[in-house]
Amino acid sequence: MIRLHNVERSYPLGRGQLFYVLRDIDLDISQGDFVSVMGPSGAGKSTLLHILGMHDHGWTGEYFFDETATHHLKAKERASLRNEKIGFVFQQYHLLDDLTVYENLDIPLSYRHYSKSERTALVGDALDRFQIVGKKDLYPRQLSGGQQQLVGVARAIIAQPKLLLADEPTGNLHSSQGEEIMKLFRKLNEEGMTIVQVTHSEKNASYGKRIVQLRDGWIV
Amino acid sequence: MIREIRFAFRRLARSPGFVVIAVVTLALAIGASTAVLSLVNALLIRPLPYGAPQQLVLLLQHFKSQNLERIPVSPPEFVDYESRAQDFDKMGAFGFLDFNLASGDKPERIAGAQVTANVFPLLGVTPIKGRFFEPTECQVGRDDVIIISERLWQRKFNRDPRILGTKLLLDGKSFTIVGIMPARFDFPLQLFNLGAGGQFGGRADIWQPLAFTDKALSLRSYRSYSIVGRLKPGISLAHAQAEIETINGQMRIEHKDNYPPADSFGGDVYPFQELAVAGMRPTLLILLGAVALVLLIACANLTTMLLARAAAHEREMAIRVALGAGPLRLLRQVLTESVILALLGGVAGVLLAIWGVDLLKSIGAQTVPRLREVNLDLRVLIITFAVSVGTGIVFGLVPGLASANPELTESLKEGGRSSTMGKSRNRLRNAIVIAEVALALVLLTSAGLLMKSFVRLQKVNPGFDSHHVLTAEVSLPKLKYPDDKAIVRFSDEAQRRIAALPGIQAVGLTTILPLAGSNSDSSFAIEGRTNDRNAPSPDEEKREVSPDYFRAIGTPLIRGRFFTQADNADAPLVIIVNQAFAKKFWPNEDAVGKRVVMGGMSPDPKWITIVGIVGDIRHAALDVEPKPEMYVPFAQDPYKSMIFAVRGAQDPRPLASAIRSHIQSIDPSLPLANIRTFDAVIAESVAPRRLSVVLLGVVLLATVGIYGVMSFLVVQRTHEIGVRMALGAQRADVMRLVIGRALQLIAIGTAIGLLMALFSMRALQALLYHVSAVDLPTFFFVTFVLALVALAASYLPAQRAMRADPMVALSHNT
Repeated sequence: MIRLHNVERSYPLGRGQLFYVLRDIDLDISQGDFVSVMGPSGAGKSTLLHILGMHDHGWTGEYFFDETATHHLKAKERASLRNEKIGFVFQQYHLLDDLTVYENLDIPLSYRHYSKSERTALVGDALDRFQIVGKKDLYPRQLSGGQQQLVGVARAIIAQPKLLLADEPTGNLHSSQGEEIMKLFRKLNEEGMTIVQVTHSEKNASYGKRIVQLRDGWIV
Repeated sequence: MIREIRFAFRRLARSPGFVVIAVVTLALAIGASTAVLSLVNALLIRPLPYGAPQQLVLLLQHFKSQNLERIPVSPPEFVDYESRAQDFDKMGAFGFLDFNLASGDKPERIAGAQVTANVFPLLGVTPIKGRFFEPTECQVGRDDVIIISERLWQRKFNRDPRILGTKLLLDGKSFTIVGIMPARFDFPLQLFNLGAGGQFGGRADIWQPLAFTDKALSLRSYRSYSIVGRLKPGISLAHAQAEIETINGQMRIEHKDNYPPADSFGGDVYPFQELAVAGMRPTLLILLGAVALVLLIACANLTTMLLARAAAHEREMAIRVALGAGPLRLLRQVLTESVILALLGGVAGVLLAIWGVDLLKSIGAQTVPRLREVNLDLRVLIITFAVSVGTGIVFGLVPGLASANPELTESLKEGGRSSTMGKSRNRLRNAIVIAEVALALVLLTSAGLLMKSFVRLQKVNPGFDSHHVLTAEVSLPKLKYPDDKAIVRFSDEAQRRIAALPGIQAVGLTTILPLAGSNSDSSFAIEGRTNDRNAPSPDEEKREVSPDYFRAIGTPLIRGRFFTQADNADAPLVIIVNQAFAKKFWPNEDAVGKRVVMGGMSPDPKWITIVGIVGDIRHAALDVEPKPEMYVPFAQDPYKSMIFAVRGAQDPRPLASAIRSHIQSIDPSLPLANIRTFDAVIAESVAPRRLSVVLLGVVLLATVGIYGVMSFLVVQRTHEIGVRMALGAQRADVMRLVIGRALQLIAIGTAIGLLMALFSMRALQALLYHVSAVDLPTFFFVTFVLALVALAASYLPAQRAMRADPMVALSHNT
């Protein structure tokens, strides 16, 4: 599903010199895979995730997504592809503070121009599936960290993406809450969703099918 | 969209402080612009309240050789114009006339007018009841009919449906009511700063047919009426003007004795609308420019604050992009928020404007034409709505564009920056602050110059001492006071009784009060000077006054003597002149003892001896230099309308009722009208200037936003200040940093602002009095004040930031 070839990401240091965050990345991820990206701080894990998520456009190399050469796409086309195929879960949940749980789930659908009735049905399903119907009118600040991340995951998959990207999804949670989220990820993966997560935790990584180790921008 | 509006309200509700500052800033700016817009709308845009007003013209005359412009016409001249002019569909004459209305035991003076039969039909209006005047009613003896206003019908007759045919006792004579004009009908309009305008006062509530006597129809020098006309369709103003000039030429040939030769005499056709508001146009246009600047400043304020907010919300925007929002969607969200803010400001601004318009009306209703009509009508509200939405888009656009392209990777990373500012955004905010300082400087300089001008005007010596002087008007009915003796008997007795009241220092009367809006003049000849038939007679201003008038108003005697009771109808004719008169006609001689004759030289002239010279009085306006004036003893040339001037030892207002009862003890049917202090008369005369000063005062409030923005910028740096302090920076280092940045912005802003002010202040010159448009002290003062405000705005929050616990400062996140 995903094929990276010779992907590199660098920042200028001045006087024509470059600082490389990622070097010569070759990576294949198949449909239904569950990949954990690990490595020390500054290894380039999050950068890799943001390249996969098409947030970052300043890289070089080749990136095929479902055989689409994203490296040839314009920013607008990449955004369109991202909206259609990719969901995100963040360490800090990044729920929108001013919106209720229901509205947080609804907003990705509204950005994708779903009709009102479709949105109502999909949000209803998500609330049921994640057992958060009772929380639908609460604001993020009224939820525990685990509950917030549960909403974060629900939001990430509500538009039925093929790929779920997660950046330290349990980093801010108690271990028991983290375990719940990881079990949820495993379940989603078993249902067919491709997942790539960045994590420092060996335990979390063990929920995945394989591990990609990064060090100083290289895959090792 | 509805959802975005709901979210925007929710987001705003989480920052009540920001919302209050933004709404107040916008309310002041939009309120000021709405108030000015409503003035412009009522005075410059809204057509006169008549049918097809663009075809209505006023016809006035001039005598250029005597410096007489826009003066009224005489009855025979009106007849000439009306009978000969072909370009006019209809033409009518009118004059102001007040009536004493007998009303139980409290007689009342009602403002009114005399109009010829054509006037109402040509104005394109219809009565709400009854009819207009018939031509036959414009004949002496058949003119005992009146039309009244709906206002008077309501006030005095409680809308009695059987009002038509009712008799009304006016000036002791019975009149039959034949029609009622709608409440909004206003004619004649007060024409500001025009010789042809009536005395400043109320709207006409009674109209009487204008019936010229045979005597009036024979006097070409008796100029007391204005002419209103409706041009035929397709006739241009220039064409009508050419025709009037032809008729003027015919008059000069047919009545050689009445007109100077050549083209010194003439008639001018003016668009009615133009003449009604011409005096206010420069003021209004400048105010319009000022409020446009205020709006720009408000936009700059809000842009700066929203940019800071955008930086604080960058992560949120990044999340939205990650969730699928496109740039347009994000822009729309920010614009929704800014337009909501602007609309909230607009609503508050409209409320402010309603109050402001009432305030403006109370300041200038007496002297600014059509000011009574000023209101917030649908047109003003629509423009205000558009201005509000436009303002919201303008100040939301830059922050919106900045928010629409957030730094995704950085913002979404754990620990990524959220409230630090990018260099380009900082540059943008600095540019906005510089622009704001420059615009504020232009506004403050305008306000400063106008204020200084107003203060100078207030300090002008008008030639009299208005303090502790009460003025009141009486108009005697012809039936009861048919001759000069009866008038003089009344005026002497009234003055005697008022003078006997305790606390009264002097009582005088005049026919024309300074700064009250009316005027009168007369031509004359000087003894011993060639009165060349080909040279026009001199013509100067003339008033009739009682012996104690000058003492009552505090005008000094320079030479000779004041009038005395002995200067009566049987005594030799005398006059007093002012210094300007004496200097103009006897620059190197003593004017006292010289003789003149009123009107032109005749074989048997009635010589009038100058017995005294008094100080100059500013009659037309405080900012108009005194003109030569002649004062005639009231007893030698009495008039039915007179104005009492009563000087008290203290505030004479409490004496008003005693004065009224003394007048009515002489004649119970006489109302005392227009009772006001002389100070109030002066205040009303400068109302248009006061109007602009008040409005610019509001403008000053709006520029207070400079303080808000500058301090906001420093508060934004609280985190940075905390870091620097934690790293060991001394207070002086931080202060140098903050104040240095503020000084840089102020210096650039004031330099640009001063250049802009230098170029734009020329437009203000017409409104300034004895102040140069490039008055350096004002420029320096304004720059100093602005710099001080900006420095205070930087210093105080920096002080607070340094005093705060470094941990608090470091965790500070807007």
